[in-house]
Amino acid sequence: MVDKVSIWEALGFRKASGVGEAGWGYTLIVAIVSFIYFIPVLMIIFMAIKPQDVALSVPPTLSPTSLFGLIPDAYVFSPTLENFTSVFSRSMTAGGAPEDTGFDRYFFNSIVIATVSVMLALVIGTLAAFGFSRYPLKGNDTYLFIILTTRMLPAIVVIIPVILMFRVAGLSGSYIGIILLYTAFNLAFTIWMMKSFFDELSLDVEDAARIDGSSEIKVFFKICLPQVVAGLAATFVFGLILTWNEFLFALLLSGTDTRTVPVAMNQAVSSGGRGTDWTLLAAIETLFLIPVFLVTFFLQNHLLRGVTFGTVKR
Amino acid sequence: MTGSDKLALRLSGISKSYGSVRALNNLSFEVAEGRFFVLFGPSSVGKTTTLRTIAGLVPTDSGRVEIFGKDVTTAPIAGRGVSMVFQSFALYPHLTVYENFAYPLREEKVGREDIDKRVKETAAMLKLTHRLERKPNTLSGGEQQRVALGRSLIRRPKILLLDEPLTNLDAKLRHDMRAELKRLHRQFGMTIVYATPDELEALSMGEEIAVMRDGAVVQRGTPDELYEQPLDTYVAGKIGSPHMNMIKATLGVDMATFDTPLGKLQPTRKVKSANSGDAALLGIRPSDLRVAGQGDAFIRSTIHLIEPLGDVTVISVEAGGESLRMVLPEASATSMKPGDAVPIAIDASKIHIFRAASGQAMT
Repeated sequence: MVDKVSIWEALGFRKASGVGEAGWGYTLIVAIVSFIYFIPVLMIIFMAIKPQDVALSVPPTLSPTSLFGLIPDAYVFSPTLENFTSVFSRSMTAGGAPEDTGFDRYFFNSIVIATVSVMLALVIGTLAAFGFSRYPLKGNDTYLFIILTTRMLPAIVVIIPVILMFRVAGLSGSYIGIILLYTAFNLAFTIWMMKSFFDELSLDVEDAARIDGSSEIKVFFKICLPQVVAGLAATFVFGLILTWNEFLFALLLSGTDTRTVPVAMNQAVSSGGRGTDWTLLAAIETLFLIPVFLVTFFLQNHLLRGVTFGTVKR
Repeated sequence: MTGSDKLALRLSGISKSYGSVRALNNLSFEVAEGRFFVLFGPSSVGKTTTLRTIAGLVPTDSGRVEIFGKDVTTAPIAGRGVSMVFQSFALYPHLTVYENFAYPLREEKVGREDIDKRVKETAAMLKLTHRLERKPNTLSGGEQQRVALGRSLIRRPKILLLDEPLTNLDAKLRHDMRAELKRLHRQFGMTIVYATPDELEALSMGEEIAVMRDGAVVQRGTPDELYEQPLDTYVAGKIGSPHMNMIKATLGVDMATFDTPLGKLQPTRKVKSANSGDAALLGIRPSDLRVAGQGDAFIRSTIHLIEPLGDVTVISVEAGGESLRMVLPEASATSMKPGDAVPIAIDASKIHIFRAASGQAMT
């Protein structure tokens, strides 16, 4: 079958397929609502490329281009990449020489801590979920419930015992500490997500593999796991977004060397006594957005299938 | 009938409970090699559990499973020489048809070239060559069914278990697949154990049928045996369509004549271990009733429903307060209409006699 592939499909967008195609009217409404959702992100991106002196100007500058004369010159700013360089290197005192801000390190920390903890949670959680799904314990639901309790409370409540536990265990400020913490927190979510995916699978298919001569290990790796790839992708993306943006635990449990971007961002804009540097903040946020944006974009086919999994009759 | 008298399969005294539910209750039967053996019974009677026990997917609580004389009760699943087609087909949804076929061979460590050859042979045999690169969910129901069959046959199993394989197909496909399955059985000569709740499938395909009830076999025999000599009212009611007419009766003092609402009836079958005055049920198949001819002894009846089925017509009549169904050739029923009186005659040699209390045959 050779279908015409549009550029959007080639880029990973799903081709719309449904009972009927929506008309322009509905499409327009959705486009407007989507745009409203996107405005904050757009404002941040524009702020990141504004010169510092027009950041808070009144009336506000709205666009980096005049859109062929559509927007009056008063609302147009001339874009600059200066803010991005000052994320990594800028003078910390008035008139001083540019200094290294350490943000390369913080980005590295964020990437390593988020990726490792989400992957760890995915590996452990998937195995645990398979166990909960296929070899239920006596009182299976009780254990699943207990696992979720840590996520029922706001982080600010849980943080006190966690800090005490970290202090006793000597984990404060270390990579291992923060990675383990995020892994534990992602585990609850991962186990629940993956268990529901495994529950959806046909047990007959696994029995068929057993009759075909597969051991239990092979049934898991060759039959079950490939069927929940979409679920793995969805769980990975959701876990990644949660962990990537986490602020409170990172603030209280990471050290100077293990600081993540959200914490560093907070400190970068609120120190120095010169007021908030909005364009710097926007530049950090824009950079911070890129990794999650890319991961979500490339996994979105799986993501959509993963989230709608089981709602579609097979 | 194919095959020797060598036993392919023997189940003795198998019991299995799920919690408080008894799935199998002292189940025993054996299957000769090469036989097309049908397990017949309504749903949740233990057919699937029986097949899963044979395959080794379900451990038994008690009893013994033997395959070709070898006790495999606790043996691992692999190595039993058994393959199974599931009601749901249970195809590997993430693998192409080719890989579905190749899977059991890869697990048996068959060489790459040999796998390719056998996959292509199997695909050709089942007319699936043009579908090899497709995923199962893009295939039609009939094609999925054939993939499931192919995956089971490619290992050349000694025993093939089929769990209601046609239930999920539409009527036309079901008919085609029945013929296809019989052809495959003839071609390969393997032993088949086929579970079905469908009477037509059981009778048309089974060389031997075991009728199941409450996790045990009630009666075993050829389709003819089950039709001609049902051991109890359960089997009599399950085999044959439309269902057997059952008439309440009382055994007379001569131990041969029965008092019935239709009058006195004297079946040719001899009753055994019964007393006069015993309550009985007389079973008469709709096809064993006919319109009485000149000089025949007859029973007065009134027609109240006529169901033309093409070649035959099913007539429901009322006689002595009992409702009876009879099957007539289409031609002899054209002039009839509801409300007509019709004299009916019963072939005395075809009357089945059951005990009213237990349902067991009295002959």
